[in-house]
Amino acid sequence: MISKEICERVLQKAASTGADYAEIFAENTLNHTVNLVGGKVDSVHDAQIAGAAVRVFLGLRSVMATTVDTTEAGLLRCAQRAAEALAEGKAEVSVTLRERLSGDIHPILVAPTSVSNADKAALLKEACAAASGYDAAIVQVTGALLDVDHRILVATSEGLWTQDRQIRTRMMVNAVAEVNGETQTGGCRPGARRGMELFETVDPREVGLHAARQAVTMAGAGYCPAGVMPVAIGNGFGGVIFHEACGHSLEASSVAYGNSQFCGKLGQKIAHEKVTAIDDGTIPNDWGSINIDDEGTPARRNVLIENGVLKSYMIDKFNGRRMGMAPTGNARRQSFSFVPTSRMTNTFIAPGNDKNEDIISSIEYGLYAKEMGGGSVNPVTGEFNFAVNEGYLIRNGKVCEPVRGASLVGKGSEVIQKIDMVGSDLLCGQGMCGSSSGSIPTNVGQPLIRVSSITVGGR
Amino acid sequence: MDFQTFRQFVADEAAALRIEAYELYYELFESTSASAFRHEINEFSSSSEGGVCLRCLVNGKMGYASTQLLSEESARALVRRAADNAATLENDQPEYLAEGGQNYQDVTTNDAPRPTADALRRAALAGQDALYAQAGVVDGSETQIFSERICIAICNSKGLDLRYENSFDGAALAAVVSDGTEGGEKANEYKISLGELDKLDLGADAAEAADGARAALGAGVPPTGAMPVVFSPKAMSQLLGTYAGVFSAENVQKGLSLLKDKEGETIAAPIVTLVDDPFYAKSAMPMPFDAEGSPTFRKNVIENGVLNTLLYNLRTAAAAGKATTGNAAKENYDAQVEIQPFTMYLASGELTQEQLLEKAGNGVLIDFLGGLHAGANTISGDFSLQSAGFLIENGKKTAPVRSFTVAGNFFSLLKGIAAVGNDPKTPTSESPTAFVSPSVLVEGLSIAGK
Repeated sequence: MISKEICERVLQKAASTGADYAEIFAENTLNHTVNLVGGKVDSVHDAQIAGAAVRVFLGLRSVMATTVDTTEAGLLRCAQRAAEALAEGKAEVSVTLRERLSGDIHPILVAPTSVSNADKAALLKEACAAASGYDAAIVQVTGALLDVDHRILVATSEGLWTQDRQIRTRMMVNAVAEVNGETQTGGCRPGARRGMELFETVDPREVGLHAARQAVTMAGAGYCPAGVMPVAIGNGFGGVIFHEACGHSLEASSVAYGNSQFCGKLGQKIAHEKVTAIDDGTIPNDWGSINIDDEGTPARRNVLIENGVLKSYMIDKFNGRRMGMAPTGNARRQSFSFVPTSRMTNTFIAPGNDKNEDIISSIEYGLYAKEMGGGSVNPVTGEFNFAVNEGYLIRNGKVCEPVRGASLVGKGSEVIQKIDMVGSDLLCGQGMCGSSSGSIPTNVGQPLIRVSSITVGGR
Repeated sequence: MDFQTFRQFVADEAAALRIEAYELYYELFESTSASAFRHEINEFSSSSEGGVCLRCLVNGKMGYASTQLLSEESARALVRRAADNAATLENDQPEYLAEGGQNYQDVTTNDAPRPTADALRRAALAGQDALYAQAGVVDGSETQIFSERICIAICNSKGLDLRYENSFDGAALAAVVSDGTEGGEKANEYKISLGELDKLDLGADAAEAADGARAALGAGVPPTGAMPVVFSPKAMSQLLGTYAGVFSAENVQKGLSLLKDKEGETIAAPIVTLVDDPFYAKSAMPMPFDAEGSPTFRKNVIENGVLNTLLYNLRTAAAAGKATTGNAAKENYDAQVEIQPFTMYLASGELTQEQLLEKAGNGVLIDFLGGLHAGANTISGDFSLQSAGFLIENGKKTAPVRSFTVAGNFFSLLKGIAAVGNDPKTPTSESPTAFVSPSVLVEGLSIAGK
């Protein structure tokens, strides 16, 4: 992309007013999506993102400038803008870059950019046809097959020059069902840091059937009753509970500014002793995995909570300065135009020893949230919410009829103390997480868990 | 390479591939911001970002491709990519490009020079002073001052050649307040204002943010049950924004909106009039043309409870045998043309918020809705959303409440609007799409609390 020699000159310019750290992040990304509506290819999104950001630090001050002009002259102008905005001093800085080969623990067998639109459309049609044919109640099916080929370069005044190529593929199917005049939707969205070989392990027809089954089940369901009750939350995307209730509040972007309920709690018991939670960017080929983060720090496995005790935050370089702590390989950004900050990768509650049947049978009256939707959190107060996409009432320890329209709300620091049963069937689900540094791929995950009491929104 | 040179390379390549109908959409977005924390500037950013999207018609199908790299090579590749994508498409609806030579309404835009970096930093620090002058404000209260400039150009093979430039400044003040006890409760609220930097009232914004945060301290949880709900202007505009897609003719034609065949029918209470206005007086981004280059105009989407019109672009209007309403939109320069309102507002009624509360009697005033991307189903209309606000007791706003949900259905809610207030707030959207509403009283929504 950009040679070491050009990067050296740009970093020297960036640091010329006295920065104590300078960094270039450059990218060339191809985003490609085939969209299907009603069995036909409706649109193809095909975008090339290319540009660079120069960032400089001086103490606890950070400046970033971005440009789409990645010629040497364009980069130097960008560096000059950053330098002028940081300080008025003058400094002679010499930067010598050495290449680090970060390795690739996420092999790609078939790069999606080398596969035709027609072949991608054929896979998607298989999935959508399976959904349409599942039941006469299915009235519409939409689908998307998206792939991303994200090439990044990071060069810093510490002498680092390194590159990474991040390829991801994902299929998404949404089905709409109508039963007795009631419309509901179902979805399935598997993805991985893989190429087209993803579909050797993910059967497109199963993706379609999953979405259709959920839509038909929910269209026939009554409304979820409202109130405070015990809830069993299923594995896979159910892990969004930890992501929202706790994960965001452990990001340095909240902690460094005192805006988290978990500030100053390292080493303290903050969760039920059955809760061990991990953020691991090193899982081969997983959706949220990276080789290096967007500041060039190698990906790591960070134990966040161990048996209820807070062990680590997720930290980027800039916020790490204010906290006096080292970066943890969690600095991420949607693209060069976003300021990177600490974010999650693959975040999950580790398997426990409870049996699934014991978790269900322990609940006299409550909700089984089999599949969760998205959610959000206010890290200052810890108040979170998330939607239940597929829920069932539990009566006398048995899973009974499906219920629709449920959501769960609560306060993070309270709910993680109420996760009092943890099963063993760990599974992750794929999501896009939105925050100040944009929308990034993250995995959430957990085995089946029980929350002893939580507010269920319904009617 | 500048856009004009790039445009010529695209024209050459299109001619070589015998592509006769195409459109180029160019966007440049320049943004500068300064943030302050604990009375010091901690972050500053200056970004310049944009790109070009090509849409071309090949055998009646509209292929898209976009790039941020402006070079001869990328111009030629762009045409080939878009043509290749067009060849994959199977959508049967005919596609159209806007005609050149149409008339457009004049809009007032701002071309004053952007504030200097120093002016932004000074304002960010002044914002910190304004925040800390408020009772209860603690560290964690951040200030961001920003300045934006946007340039959009659309040209096509039918002679369309449009350009739009505008700029504005703004302030985002986030107040974190504490109840004053060690390790005690905190609450936060923010206030965003748009306008010229020297006309922003940081003192008033800081007071509003801090007052809002303090009012939420000590919040309890409301009882569970069905009760009247008053949505504040903020909460109701959040809800409108979440469900605006139901008025898109594209969603209707694709079977993704329940408003199919509902034009001309009553879908809301008679007191509901919902307007889409590209020239809304307080909009930061009034727009004379839409994302396809069609002229824009003001229209009533719902008039006295009746669905007057859906929102259309060229393709969906032709499919319905109508004229476009000039509502083509792009989320980003590289995005597919979709359909969005401009400033969509619920027309004000006569009553103050206090009068709405009196009418409600006993219930809740909802001032914040959370998780709208997840807890609101835009197809079925069902929602179950995290909420915060105040109890309404004997017609008066009383104790703060949070950690509860409000559940209902958007389509039923439109019919259940019992009264509309007269207190809309100025929109703070940085894009042409914005949502505005006064306070609204809705009977009988489900509250899940304690």
